[in-house]
Amino acid sequence: MAPVLSVENVSVSFPGGRGDITVVDDVSFSLEAGQSLVIAGESGSGKSMVCQTLLGIAPGAAKVTGTRIDWKGRDLLKLGEAEWQTIRGSEIAMIFQDPTAALNPLITVENQIVDAIRAHRKVSRAEARARAIEVLGLAGFPEPEHRMRSYPSELSGGLRQRVAIALALSCSPSLIIADEATTNLDVSIQAQIVKLLRDLKDKLGLALIFVTHDLGLASDIGGDLLVMYAGCAVERGPVNDVLTDPTHPYTRGLLRSAPTLKSSRANPLRPIPGQMPKPGSVGAGSPFRSRCPVVVDGVCDIKRAGWTSAGPRHDVACHRFALEGREGVR
Amino acid sequence: MSTLVANRIVKTFNVKRGGKTSELRAVNDVSLTVAPGEIVGLVGESGCGKTTLSRIMIGIETATAGEITYDGRPVKSRADWRDLRRSVQYVFQDPFTALCPTMRIGDALAEPLAIHNICPPAERKARVIRMLEMVGLHADVARRLPNQLSGGQRQRVNLARALMLEPKVLICDEIVSGLDVSVQAQVLALLIELQERLGLSLVFISHDLRVVRYLCSRVLVMYMGEVVEQGAVEAVFDNPQHTYTQALLAAIPDHSRLTAAAS
Repeated sequence: MAPVLSVENVSVSFPGGRGDITVVDDVSFSLEAGQSLVIAGESGSGKSMVCQTLLGIAPGAAKVTGTRIDWKGRDLLKLGEAEWQTIRGSEIAMIFQDPTAALNPLITVENQIVDAIRAHRKVSRAEARARAIEVLGLAGFPEPEHRMRSYPSELSGGLRQRVAIALALSCSPSLIIADEATTNLDVSIQAQIVKLLRDLKDKLGLALIFVTHDLGLASDIGGDLLVMYAGCAVERGPVNDVLTDPTHPYTRGLLRSAPTLKSSRANPLRPIPGQMPKPGSVGAGSPFRSRCPVVVDGVCDIKRAGWTSAGPRHDVACHRFALEGREGVR
Repeated sequence: MSTLVANRIVKTFNVKRGGKTSELRAVNDVSLTVAPGEIVGLVGESGCGKTTLSRIMIGIETATAGEITYDGRPVKSRADWRDLRRSVQYVFQDPFTALCPTMRIGDALAEPLAIHNICPPAERKARVIRMLEMVGLHADVARRLPNQLSGGQRQRVNLARALMLEPKVLICDEIVSGLDVSVQAQVLALLIELQERLGLSLVFISHDLRVVRYLCSRVLVMYMGEVVEQGAVEAVFDNPQHTYTQALLAAIPDHSRLTAAAS
């Protein structure tokens, strides 16, 4: 199947005092209908900026460059604002981290969804209202006919996030981007929302991009995983393959520092020493070189590693791996 | 021995809704003992009463019924609470709102010493620097303002401020949940080091059971204001008895299940 979305060599930079500051550096990925992609990384890895670029909502000062972002045959890099209006919220929708901030506190749930539908489709209020009930039902919102007259403040955090999901579904998008959409929720509500997103993807044939810093959550979403560090993609492949056989020193470090339900102090977590480099200070070399335990002297500080295959559809951008394979990064 | 005990704590709030006042029982008959050098986990979802209980244990809230004892003595008068707060310190969830935005880090760390009149003003600066180094921060941080620090650095500053009085017990409310995984691992390593080096006891409140499993030796599971299950971490996590604990454990996203399935 042809991918619905194909991102080719996209970079995002901001003008800085001493030249441009690059926050997303040459990132590529593609996604088919009904598939999911998890983008994992820590704060400052550029994962949210990638999402904003896909929705044309990157801050005004941001300079987005790249070969092409192909969306169903159109190049998103070349769109004007008027064209973005026809795609944003309609063909590509986003679910934000904080549903309280994403919803208007002064407008009822019903009217927010009806307004969103009528902004994109020429339908009557009654038709839009019927659609609102339908999407709230899909999002697992209880008794939508009655409770959609509530204001966001009358709902719990989990229900608000369901409203945000219904809002995203309202215009039948082909791609939903969920940016840390479950981070603020309780674990049991988080598990429900993750299951809901997975079910919706399968039922409606949606493409899903799920951004998270939690590798445990990545394994629950499934599909493909893209690990980002300091604006660069460092490892990509099926979620299960990357998490059971991590090859990039950063992915390995991240997994060693994340506690699981099997962790105990007999087998201590090993934090990655140091801190993420400041944006713009990475230069031409490997982004992870200042914290990497297996850095290749004279190579990693000069040039960025290209992709090396670590298995079927599983690639890693690491000089050490390219030179010595799995033994080198152990 | 310096043991902090919460004995049969009840806390009710009056809630007004639709002109009627009703009583909300946030904490219902909960007891908690923190032995010296022990790390006790307190888990449960938002609204289960874990933060309210911890705030009662340091006197930010007053209990409706029940008492707090420290070293076997009940804590009642203002003077008792003042004494308790020299030995028991609280680290808040949000490292940014817990720090005064216009106060330099060095001054923020020296303030507890001034409040409790602990060491001569001339020596305070050296103690601040020593503490910053102990939590893995550079001495330069003393001159900075909170907004010049990253989230992980701010949380270390909060820890450092709580440790300035050399407390025996630290109450930590969700202190790692806002941090990135690699920073979280650094803070957890620091907590373990403090426990081992200073014999510090910790009440560790978290909704992340993975972190609790790693850090704590004993755990209390709270649900709707009550403790539904408690015991050694291994026992509770490997063989949960209460259906709520079972549901909570099943909801944790966990990639170790993958590794288990693969091997």
